[in-house]
Amino acid sequence: MFDNFFDGRWMMTDSPFVVVEGLHFSRGDKDIFRGVDMRIPRGKITAIMGPSGTGKTTLLKLIGGQLAPDAGHVRIDGADVHALSRKALFALRRRMGMLFQSGALFSDLSVYENVAFPLQVHTDLPEAMIRDVTLMKLQAVGLRGARDLSPAELSGGMSRRVALARAIALDPELILYDEPFVGQDPISKGVLVQLIRKLNEALGLTSIVVSHDIEETLSIADYVYVIADGQVMAHGTPQTLDVDDDPRVSQFVHGEPDGPVPFHYPATDFFRDILDTERR
Amino acid sequence: MIGQILNMGRRGCEVLEALGRAGLFLVQSAVGWPSREGWYLWLRQMHFVGVLSLAIVLVSGLFIGMVLALQGYTILVDFGAEQALGQMVALSLLRELSPVVAALLFAGRAGSALTAEIGLMKATEQLTSMEMIGVDPLRRVVAPRLWAGFVALPLLTIGFSVVGVYGGYLVGVEWLGVFEGSYWGNMQSSVDFIGDIGNGMVKSIVFALVVTWIAVFQGYDLVPTSEGISRATTRTVVYSSLAVLGLDFVLTALMFGGLS
Repeated sequence: MFDNFFDGRWMMTDSPFVVVEGLHFSRGDKDIFRGVDMRIPRGKITAIMGPSGTGKTTLLKLIGGQLAPDAGHVRIDGADVHALSRKALFALRRRMGMLFQSGALFSDLSVYENVAFPLQVHTDLPEAMIRDVTLMKLQAVGLRGARDLSPAELSGGMSRRVALARAIALDPELILYDEPFVGQDPISKGVLVQLIRKLNEALGLTSIVVSHDIEETLSIADYVYVIADGQVMAHGTPQTLDVDDDPRVSQFVHGEPDGPVPFHYPATDFFRDILDTERR
Repeated sequence: MIGQILNMGRRGCEVLEALGRAGLFLVQSAVGWPSREGWYLWLRQMHFVGVLSLAIVLVSGLFIGMVLALQGYTILVDFGAEQALGQMVALSLLRELSPVVAALLFAGRAGSALTAEIGLMKATEQLTSMEMIGVDPLRRVVAPRLWAGFVALPLLTIGFSVVGVYGGYLVGVEWLGVFEGSYWGNMQSSVDFIGDIGNGMVKSIVFALVVTWIAVFQGYDLVPTSEGISRATTRTVVYSSLAVLGLDFVLTALMFGGLS
């Protein structure tokens, strides 16, 4: 486990940490992805953006091996995620952390126990050392004082920070953030932006942020992929995307209400619909 | 017409697929030796599933025993056979009522709670996040609950029988005046350990497997919305009650029906 860990941190090779190749995925009759290719560089923050409903969370679940694609591969540090045995997959997952949109803290454990959980199940460390590590992680997210609270007593922003502490408890090499800024007040948004940046620098990990909050995401991302209609619509650094003249990209990046993505859900003509009294 | 046949086929496939998922689920979670922590998790679930169901099971047992004695007495006394009251109460309880009623109560009290708890864990992504931490929720969440249910229900059934026989004694002997010696004596001479107690326990073990399996699988397999949780909880109670009553008939036919 630690061999790879040090490889990733010190060698900083140019080979991407996560590679997504020709990914196809559908749910029922609906195609979610039709050939997605991505290369997520090591030690950087990569943002995956796109309008809601484009399957950003699904993409994270495909990377984490919780869903299997119809075609294509996801490779993490060279290993094909979906070809691994159940045991090897769980071993690989110990090297990643994931921050869920809801926080997903275990409701029957306290804040402290939640953060200590990965350490208790995956390491043989003595209890005193687990305590030290847990308190360090809680200190890093500023919630050491909240360790005895239960998840039900936390605000949305606080539970997301506790979940972040839990996600970094085992010092992962890869961390996946699912919509970290959704539903947060400006202060917690600021806190989270700062935490994601700082953690990435301090721990040298590879981060993938899935989000549709343009401003916050572009401020921390090193590289951005924009997905829409099941494909990668554009990718580049935040600066290049800002001046991209593709109307679809510019509508999304600048938040224009109408454009290639129409404001109205497809419907019949409005006046005919109003006058059409027979159908009622 | 063709459409109907197609539909029927599709439904059949869906049912088979669900059965396959449920079978795989049972094997993956229940088979395997627990870790040291697994024992602790199992004990905790024994408390939630078993100890907390004790009150409702024992109180019901007492009343059922009392009602049996009362009903039995009014019939037996017509034939001057009230001495056989103990035999009647004990056999009805051991062979039939204890396993069945305890299982039905267990499905309502513990089964529905298991479904709702696991379902809510799924809806709040706790199961997914556990997977992402690298811990298999089948082993950590599901297995202790399954085993707690398997063990708890037979034990509860024993409690039900004991209290029920005592309830029969209270009504028959203390209230209606059946001779105490014949209540216990007839019971002792007519109850066979293997044939009655043993078969009753076999029933109870089968019911425990089925009820817990249904409850936990319904929770794990539900659609993670509030509507999905309420539906799955209802399904747990309905399916387990039907399964218990249906299986009871089959088992009774095999054990006491003279078929073998």
